[in-house]
Amino acid sequence: GITTSRNKRRASRNQQDKISGPSLPMDIWCHIHSLMPMRDAAQVACVSRAFARSWRGRPNLTFSEETFGLNENTCQKDKLVRYFTNKAFNLEVYASYDEKNNCHLEHLDSWLQIAVKPGIEELILSLFGIIGAKYNFPCSLFADGAGESLQYLFLASCEFHPTTKFGCLKSLTRLQLYMVHIADGELECFLAGCVVVESLDLRYCSEIICLKIPCLQRLSFLEVSTCSNLEAIESKAPNLSSFDFAGDLDVKLSLGNSPQIKKLRMRCKDATYYACTELPSKMPNLESLTIDSPTETVNAPMLSSQFLHLKFLAIIVLDEMDYDFLSLGSSFFDASPSLETFFDASLQMMPRHHHDKLKRVDITNFTSARTLVELACHIVESAKSLVRLTLDTTKGGPRCFGGNPYSCSLIRSRDAILEAERAVQAVEMYIKPKVSSTVELNVVEPCNRCRATEL
Amino acid sequence: MAAADSCDGISTSGGGWEKTVTLVSSDDARFEVREAAASLSQTVRRMIRAGGDGGIPLPKVDARTLSTVLEYCNKHAAVPAPAPESSSAEAAAVDLEWFDKELMHVDLATLCSLIRAADYLEVAGLLDLTCKTVADMIKSKTAEEIRQMFGIQNDFTPEEEEQLSRENAGVFE
Repeated sequence: GITTSRNKRRASRNQQDKISGPSLPMDIWCHIHSLMPMRDAAQVACVSRAFARSWRGRPNLTFSEETFGLNENTCQKDKLVRYFTNKAFNLEVYASYDEKNNCHLEHLDSWLQIAVKPGIEELILSLFGIIGAKYNFPCSLFADGAGESLQYLFLASCEFHPTTKFGCLKSLTRLQLYMVHIADGELECFLAGCVVVESLDLRYCSEIICLKIPCLQRLSFLEVSTCSNLEAIESKAPNLSSFDFAGDLDVKLSLGNSPQIKKLRMRCKDATYYACTELPSKMPNLESLTIDSPTETVNAPMLSSQFLHLKFLAIIVLDEMDYDFLSLGSSFFDASPSLETFFDASLQMMPRHHHDKLKRVDITNFTSARTLVELACHIVESAKSLVRLTLDTTKGGPRCFGGNPYSCSLIRSRDAILEAERAVQAVEMYIKPKVSSTVELNVVEPCNRCRATEL
Repeated sequence: MAAADSCDGISTSGGGWEKTVTLVSSDDARFEVREAAASLSQTVRRMIRAGGDGGIPLPKVDARTLSTVLEYCNKHAAVPAPAPESSSAEAAAVDLEWFDKELMHVDLATLCSLIRAADYLEVAGLLDLTCKTVADMIKSKTAEEIRQMFGIQNDFTPEEEEQLSRENAGVFE
C-alpha cells in the first residue's frame, strides 16, 4: 500500500511538497495505476517513461477478481503476460462467488497455461471464495520441465491429482495445500518428486487418511492441521526439526526421527496431558514447545522426565477456570532447567520458585485480577535473569499495523476496554515500581482505534 | 460543519458532549473539529498525542483544501457502527457513498490538492477515494490527453512511443 512506502519517500519529497496545481508525485501515480484495471493501466503506460516504469513495475501477475474476468472482459492474455517478468502468479478469490454469480473458472486453465512457464518461481492459487465450484488444477502444466523453477506452491480449495507423468518440482522448497482434495497415494508420489522441499503445510485436507512422507533430506518443517479424517502420519524425513500439529491425539504419529525434533506446537484436546506424559520420552530434545489446548479433561500429572533443552514454553488453555495451573506450571518449571521464555495465555497461579534462566515472560490476557498482578510481581522479584516482561491487556491477537483496517484486534466491547484500562492502571501502581531498570517492561494496551470504536 | 476560528473546548454534537481540537491551515485559518473526526488523520492523531496548545499547525494544507478534508472526516467519523445487515447499516452505507460521490465533484486542481492533502494528513479513506476518482477519470483518455491534464512531459523517443503503442495494440485489440 501507499502508506507503507511513506517513510522511505518522505525524505525525497521535500522539494515538491507544495500542494497546488494538478501535478502529482510519482508514488501517488503508482497507487493510482494500481487501482486501474490492467487494460487501462497499460494504456496509461504510454504517457511517460515514469508511467511506463510504474506499469511494468507491477511485480507479479496478481489478479484482482475483476481483472481475472469474473466479469467476462478478458483481454488477450497471452500477449499481456509477456510484459511481465512473470516469476509469480497469484490469484486469490476471497469474495463469495457461486456458479450463478458469474464465476468464470473456465478462464483459469488458460491463464495458468500462460503463467506457468519455465522461470516461474511462485504459484499461488487460492479459491476459498468460490462456493461449490470444484476446480481441478491442471497438473499437466508442470510436465516438460515447466515446474522445475517453481519454489513455492500454494493451492487452496481445489482438486489436485498429480500423476507420475507430472514431472518433478525440483526446486520446490515450500508447499502449502489448504482444503485440497488429494488422495494419500497421489500426495506421497508427488512429495517424492519434491526433493528439496523444506517446508510442508497441510490444512483441512480431509481426504488424507494416512500421510506418508518419503525420505526427504531437506524437509525440516511440517505442519498438519485439522485434516479431519487423518489416522496416521508416517514420516521418513530424517531432518525434521519442527512439527506443528492440530487435530486429534488418536492420530498415530511415527516421525522417524522424533528425538531430533526441537520445535513442537500441538493444538488438540488434552494436549497438556499428552505433553506431560508422552512427550518427554518421545521428544526429549525439544527446545520450543507450544501447547494450545481448547479443553483439558484431566489435570496434568508431573512430567515423567525432564526436557533438558527446553528454552521456550507457551501454554494456552482456553478459559478453564478449574484447571490446576499451579501444578502444571511447577511441573514444567521443575522439568525444564533451561527455560528462558515462558508465555501464558490463561495463567491464574504460578509457583513460588526461583527461575534462574527465565529471560522472557509474556502474559497475554493480562487483567487486573489480584492473582495475576501478584504473579507478575512475583516474576519480577524472583526471576533474576529476566530481560523482558510483556503484559498484554488485549487478549493477544493481531494489532493495528500501519492503518490497515483489517489487522486490528478491535476489542469491541466497552467492558473489555474498561478492564484493559484497569489492568494498565494496576501495572502502573503495583508492578512498574518493582521492575528493575534492566528489565524491559512492555505493556500492550488497546489501540486508539479499539478505543475509538467505543467512543 | 467545520466552524472557522474558535478555541479548543467542548462542543455539543448529536446530543452528546465531545472533545474538540483546533487545526490551523497554512494560511492561518483555524478549524475547530471533533477529536474523533480529526483523528481520521493519522498525522493529526500523532500530533494530538504529542500535545501542545494553541491549535495544531498544518503548514502544507490551505484553508480551502482543509475544509473539504474536514468535511470528509466529519461525515465519516459521525457514522456509528450499527449492527451489520440491519437496514440502517445499509442506509448509512448508501448515504456515505452518495456523500463521497458529491464530494468528488470538483475541478482537477482541487482534486489533486485533495490527494496531496490526504497523503500528507494520512487520511487513508480519502486518499483511496480521490485516487480512485483520478483513476476513473483517466482511464478513457489518450496518453496525450493525460499529459495535458497533468502537465506531464512526453519523454519518450518517437521510436519508443511507437513500440509501446504497438505492443498495447497487440495485446488489447
